[in-house]
Formats: sequence, structure tokens, C-alpha cells
Amino acid sequence: MARAVSQQRKIINTVLAWAVGLLIFFPILWTILTSFKTEATAIADPPVFLFFDWTLENYTVVQERSDYMRFLWNSVIIAGGSTLLGIVIAVPAAWSMAFVPSKRTKDILLWMLSTKMLPAVGVLYPIYLIFIQMGLLDTRIGLTVVLMLINLPIIVWMLYTYFKEIPGEILEAARMDGAGLREEILYVLTPMAIPGIASTVLLNIILAWNEAFWTLNLTAAKAAPLTAFIASYSSPEGLFYAKLSAASTMAIAPILILGWFSQKQLVRGLTFGAVK
Amino acid sequence: MSYRAKRPNRLFRNLSAKIAALPMIVTALCVFIGCTVWTVLYSFTKSRMLPKADFVGLLQYERLWDTRRWILSVENLAIFGGCMMVLSLVIGFSLAALLDQKIRFENAIRTIILYPFALGFVVTGLVWQWILNPDFGLQSVVRGFGWAGFEFDPLFDVDIVIYGVLIAAVWQGSGFIMIVMLAGLRGIDQEIWKAAHIDGIPAWKTYVVVIIPMMRPVFVTALVLIASGIIKVYDLVKAQTNGGPGIASEVPAKYVIDMMFNNLNLGQGFAASNMMLLSVLVILIPWAYLEFGGKKHA
Repeated sequence: MARAVSQQRKIINTVLAWAVGLLIFFPILWTILTSFKTEATAIADPPVFLFFDWTLENYTVVQERSDYMRFLWNSVIIAGGSTLLGIVIAVPAAWSMAFVPSKRTKDILLWMLSTKMLPAVGVLYPIYLIFIQMGLLDTRIGLTVVLMLINLPIIVWMLYTYFKEIPGEILEAARMDGAGLREEILYVLTPMAIPGIASTVLLNIILAWNEAFWTLNLTAAKAAPLTAFIASYSSPEGLFYAKLSAASTMAIAPILILGWFSQKQLVRGLTFGAVK
Repeated sequence: MSYRAKRPNRLFRNLSAKIAALPMIVTALCVFIGCTVWTVLYSFTKSRMLPKADFVGLLQYERLWDTRRWILSVENLAIFGGCMMVLSLVIGFSLAALLDQKIRFENAIRTIILYPFALGFVVTGLVWQWILNPDFGLQSVVRGFGWAGFEFDPLFDVDIVIYGVLIAAVWQGSGFIMIVMLAGLRGIDQEIWKAAHIDGIPAWKTYVVVIIPMMRPVFVTALVLIASGIIKVYDLVKAQTNGGPGIASEVPAKYVIDMMFNNLNLGQGFAASNMMLLSVLVILIPWAYLEFGGKKHA
């Protein structure tokens, strides 16, 4: 903002903001630190913060006891696959809504978004039945399709807002030069929309990665992704916090890293393009 | 070329636009409408382990509202939801206002504050299960500092356990609301700040009197985002307390799933899920009408 902010105020605000930021980050930091402690140190009273014997034991135990790589691979396939599938279906839909709007376009968009607000439990059992009949229960393909459906409204909406920003004249010009519909979407629209598509993809990978409602209820052992993996480590007695932390750290590390390197796209995606 | 292509192209374009939107509309229609109608229909049956078309009228609903656990779930959700809306909005806006003060490394801190949102509910639930553990979490840390009488043990206290879940949810969701609010703050004309400054209006007053009223649409968006998350709360509770101690932190979505998959009482589950659906519709329809219906005629 254009207000004159004095140097002193600026430093105070920066310090304050960082203090708040660290406070918010602390639980994550604590989890990561705990994953390097022994079980005894993890529940020491008073808690030890930094000065303990660092150990990788928890990671090896977690890896031995449950195949982390398999869960990771399931997460990657399900999150990536559902996003890709969603994009393939959503790009044509968003294109038509942005460039060939009809009277109903706004209504359809709204109606579509509103399905996101309905409680998912309402459709859980019918989908469960369909899954049983089609043999999709506990398969990666089944989960990929469901997560795609769940996130499709968001994907379409986001792409729509990005496509809206592209001036229609450019498409007119391409048409004048004899570009057909396919060329128009493939060679003109898509390259221009790459940043928007990237934000959409990123946000959806994160949403699908964290999805627990459907993954916990529709998978058992074979297709379970990382969310199910961590949930399986949660014991009501709370006896294995160091191992639980190691499992959590392994599950969140990919997201933390991905999030850090793509913060701009992520923020753009979350605000539907309002912050650039 | 262009002359020849123009007219048929127009028709073709509209047609292809409809075809392009079709897969999405069809999937949305089949899945959401189809499955919802199915669930509504079977909530009037006495299905137990398997769905059976054996209609019993409103019996399942009568039973539902006679069940202690369901009433408690609804109460929990009301407390949780009310507090969540207020706290998320207040904290989200405060954080956004703080980040809007030309601070250094704004992008980095924005990402850090957003991190909890990127973790999802399962990890959030587990992390906070641990921080709120009385023996080696927050309580023991504060006692270690010398305040021996400090007591903060929400997860094992039947009366306040839902607030323990609330803390975790606010921690998880505030970053997202902050981002939305920040987008709103950045959209405000900078001249307004200058004018307020010249008139000698203090910054806090400018926020309350000028900025927040101007950001009404942003607040509405944020509220809708928060509200649609509240009704769905399930995985957080599942990971953090699993409904305990006892049934003290049960929520409606968990009731539905437990009825369907653990208690083999499908009809109850369907009836409960329809009550949730109904409550969403009661809020959603008037809101959509107010927000979007009015503008069409204007």
C-alpha cells in the first residue's frame, strides 16, 4: 500500500509478522524434530527442543514396518492422475464457458461450484456400491476417478477465471489466419494459459494429496495413499509419537518442498487469480 | 476463405462449445444428483446391512432425533462452526492486515503461514493430538516454565474437547483465509489510505470504518469457504480424537459413516446425511439468491 510507513514501524511489523509466522510453523517444526528423537526423548517431561541425540531409527522402523514407498507411489499416482484427468475434461469446458458463453453459463458454473459445498457423505454410499459392483474398491484407478470428480468443479472454475483474462481478439486473429478449433485450443489458448493451468494443477495436486475422506473410506491396503498410511500409525494410547512423527514427516515433506518452490502459483491458485 | 468459413463456423462453434462442456456437466449431474437422490430415497427404508427398498416412512428420522449421539454431534458442530467462522475471519483478517504492512520477505512468511493448510486434516489432527497431550505437550511445557498450576487439557475433558478440535482447525484454516483477505486488501484503492491519512484518521479506525465495509464481497467469499468446510469436518476429528473421549467430540459426518460402515445401519446413516444436506441447502439457497439472484435484474 502507498501509505508512508516509517523505517522503525516497518522493522517492528516485520519482527511481529515473523514471530507470528514462527508460532504458526512451530507445530510442524516440532513434528519434524520429534521424528529424529528416540521414543523416550519424544515424550520427555519437560520436552527437549534441540539438544538430544539425533537418530534416524524411526525412519528405518517405519520403512520396515510398512512399505512407505508403496504409499508414496499410490499418493503420486492418485494425486497426479486425478489432476491430469480433471484438466483434460476441464479445459474444453472452461474454454467453452469463457469464450462461447451462453445465457446459462453463469448458472452452470455456480451450480457446479455449489456441489462442492454439499456434504460428501451424501454420495459416499452410492459410490461405494458402484465401486463394489465394478470391482473398483481399493484400486488406484477408482480413487483417481473419484478424486477427479470431487475436484472437478474447482478445476473448471479456476481455469474459467484464467481463460477469462485472455483477450478474445487473439483467438479472433488466430481464426482469421485459418486456425481450426483444435489448433486454436492447442496452439493459441493453452500456451497462453500455461501459468493458470500450472496454478490449477498445483493446487489440485495438494488437495488430492491431502484428501482423506474418500481415501480412508474407499481403500484398504492395496491402493491406500499416504493419508491412510499416517492414519494407520495413530494409536489412541499415543505410545509411538516419534514413529508417528517420522511417518508424518515423510508424508508432508513432498508437500512442504513443492509448496515452497511454487509459492507464487499456489497463492494465485488459492485466490482464483486475484493475487499475482 | 474467411467469407466462406464464417457462417457455418459460428454454428459449429456453439455446437462444439456445448460438446466441450458436456463431459463435465454429465459427470456432475450423474454423480452428484444421481447419488444424492438415491441416498434420499433409501433414507425412507429400513435398510440395515444392505440397501433394501422396504419403505418405512419417516421412522429413521424419528429414531435419529431420539439418538443422544446424533444430538450431541449436531451440538458439537454448532459450537465448532460458530467459533470457527468468527475465529477464522478475525485471525485471517488480522494476519492479512499484518502482512499488508510492507514487511520484509513477505512471500516467504506468507508461505509459512499457509503451510498448515497444505498439510491436510490427518496430519493436523495428529500434530495437535500431541501438542494438546497433557503429559508432554503444551501443558507440560508451560508447567516446566514454572507455572505449576497451569491446566490446559482439552482432549481428555468431555466438556471442552470440541474446542481442542477447534484450535487445530483454526490453525489449519487461517492461512487460507489470510490469503483470500490479502487478495481483498490488495484490491483496495491506495488513494483511500492517503485520504484517511490526511484526515488524521488512525489506521485501526480506517480498517473498521472504511476498509472492512469495502471488502464485503471478500468476507462473503471467505465465509462461504469456511462454512463449506465446517459441515464436512470428519477427517480432523477422526485423526485427532476419533470422536472421544466417549462420544464427546462426535460430529455429524462421522455419525453417518459409522452408521453406514461400522454399525451396519444404512437407513440411519442415510437419514443423518440427508439432515446434513438439508441444513446446507437451507443456508445455501437463500445465500445464492441474495448474492446472485438480485444482480441479474439490476
